[in-house]
Amino acid sequence: MQKLLDILASGIHDAKNQLFIAESLISDAEKRHSIDLAEARYALESAANRMSRMLTSYRVMRHESRLSLLPVIVSDLCAEIALDQRNHLAHRNLALDVECTTDEAWPLDRDLVIDMLNNAVQNAGRHARQRIRLTAEQQGEMLVFKVDDDGPGFANLPPPRGTGLLLAAELARMHVRRGHCGSLTLSNGSPLGGARFELRLP
Amino acid sequence: MNMDFTDKRFLVIDDQAMAREALRSIAQTAGAFSVEFACNYQDAIFRIRNNTPDVILCDYMLGDGRSGQQLLEELRRFKLLPDETIFMMVTGEQSYEQVVSAVELVPDDYIIKPFSPDKLLLRLERILVKKAFFADYYKERRKQEFARALALLETKLNSTAGRGYRFEIMRQKAETLLASGHNTAAEALYRGILDAGEFPWARAGIARTLQRQNRLDEARHEIERVVASTPYYFDAFDVKATICLAQGDTDEAQQVLEQVARKTPRNYLRKRLLAEAASLNGDTETARAVMSDVIANDNMPGAVLAEDRLALARSHVAHDDRIAGEAALIGIRDSEVQNFSLDNQSSYAALLAICCPERGKKKFIGLRPALMSTELAIMNRLDVLHAALYLNDAELADRQAESMMAGPDAKSAFSAMRKLYALYGREVDFRDLQKQVALRRIHHT
Repeated sequence: MQKLLDILASGIHDAKNQLFIAESLISDAEKRHSIDLAEARYALESAANRMSRMLTSYRVMRHESRLSLLPVIVSDLCAEIALDQRNHLAHRNLALDVECTTDEAWPLDRDLVIDMLNNAVQNAGRHARQRIRLTAEQQGEMLVFKVDDDGPGFANLPPPRGTGLLLAAELARMHVRRGHCGSLTLSNGSPLGGARFELRLP
Repeated sequence: MNMDFTDKRFLVIDDQAMAREALRSIAQTAGAFSVEFACNYQDAIFRIRNNTPDVILCDYMLGDGRSGQQLLEELRRFKLLPDETIFMMVTGEQSYEQVVSAVELVPDDYIIKPFSPDKLLLRLERILVKKAFFADYYKERRKQEFARALALLETKLNSTAGRGYRFEIMRQKAETLLASGHNTAAEALYRGILDAGEFPWARAGIARTLQRQNRLDEARHEIERVVASTPYYFDAFDVKATICLAQGDTDEAQQVLEQVARKTPRNYLRKRLLAEAASLNGDTETARAVMSDVIANDNMPGAVLAEDRLALARSHVAHDDRIAGEAALIGIRDSEVQNFSLDNQSSYAALLAICCPERGKKKFIGLRPALMSTELAIMNRLDVLHAALYLNDAELADRQAESMMAGPDAKSAFSAMRKLYALYGREVDFRDLQKQVALRRIHHT
């Protein structure tokens, strides 16, 4: 079974390398012709992220997944989400506000958490009317990320969860520290009037 | 701060031509002033030695069984990476993240492909900010001004700007405490870090501090946990091996090192440790093969030291191959012999006395008064013991054996000592010595 995982991992690795070559060619063309092809690059990066997420899901399902904890500056992490998503959302006339009220570093799996939040912002973008807000704050022993939108909210609570959300919930639970573990909550508690994605990490 | 990369020289290291081109293009869009290429490991080292770049973008997979992590370790080993140089690992898969989160020797950051020029720029700017924050500390640390380095870290830990770097400051502090011999303080700090997060490098740090405090069983317990949970954290296996050696478990030490050395065939520091473990374990065949490999293939200028030739000569002597032993000793330059520490001088004279008595015996006898009274490191002490037995100098031999038995190396040296006594038909004398040392220990406590 290890072999199948190796085949998947190396295939995804090669595919991402090729996507990187494609992205470099696009960014080169942008510079040369002074054009903006950011949406094309966004699509490539999203495809790469989906493949990585697929591999992570597979590992988690086989209980072979392990977190890589690194101390990450929370505001840096928020800035990366903004960089990844803002441009794309603006294309669809959606604004992304980021509010980070902590200057702490937090031990977490940087790439997995960034992917979870990117995914949450993308989901919010599908339903939002004008605005999405990402907030990060420290509440006692927990670090809390919220993604709020001003869309119609979830029709049913709890909402049906797709692969991305199921994976995010599992990855949140895998973050364990001092007897606390992480959690994921979906609600209609957004002060903007729509849905809220809330990720709590110990 | 100057966040401009337009005056910076980049070096892109990747074995795939298309990937190199892609990295160059992204770096140039991000504003790089000039971008050089290296297409393999050796080429990379050559370029970095000759003209250190400002920013290194290195792919994790370099082909030919080499990884970017190995390159990074080699660059640090030969002090080819100034603190100001940015080393960024580039990887197509998440598995490198597992390596970075575990090991002690990390790049400034890593970035997963594909990424945009903006993303690269964002990451590079953060590294510059961090390097500026730690600049004064790095300077003191490099000069080995430990007290001043620690004071700077303390100030940083309490500063507002330092909040985001809290973990890095604590890590640097623990490493500096360990380097300056403050073992219990380092242990306390590592435990504090572990309480905040299960970082493998912090648990390995605890094992190191325990080992230095001679709390070997606890050290072994901690390092076993690290090794079991992070199989790609190779340095942790080295730590485990040195703890095993100190415990006298030479067999396990050799096995552990052989297992990792197979995965890192070009880590010659690890191979030297393997040769030592094999030698103490009585596996002279492995010791000889490994040292020959080290001397033939560790080809960075200045990599092979006179100590390595001594180790090779030692392994030949263990095989009673005196001609090869003498050849290895001849490979050591006179100027090196003149600058030898007493440890190495003793080994040199002892091994030469065995390989070529007419040249070495006089030298060895000349050192005899010093050898009767001075402390020597374990491998050197074993060489002296061997030569003394060979030259029938029972008093000198027994003095060496007694010292080792009473000292901290008793367990690691035990089986090697017993073999040497047996080789010269003196098993009975060895047992008597053992009893005497044990009795003396009882009377003293």
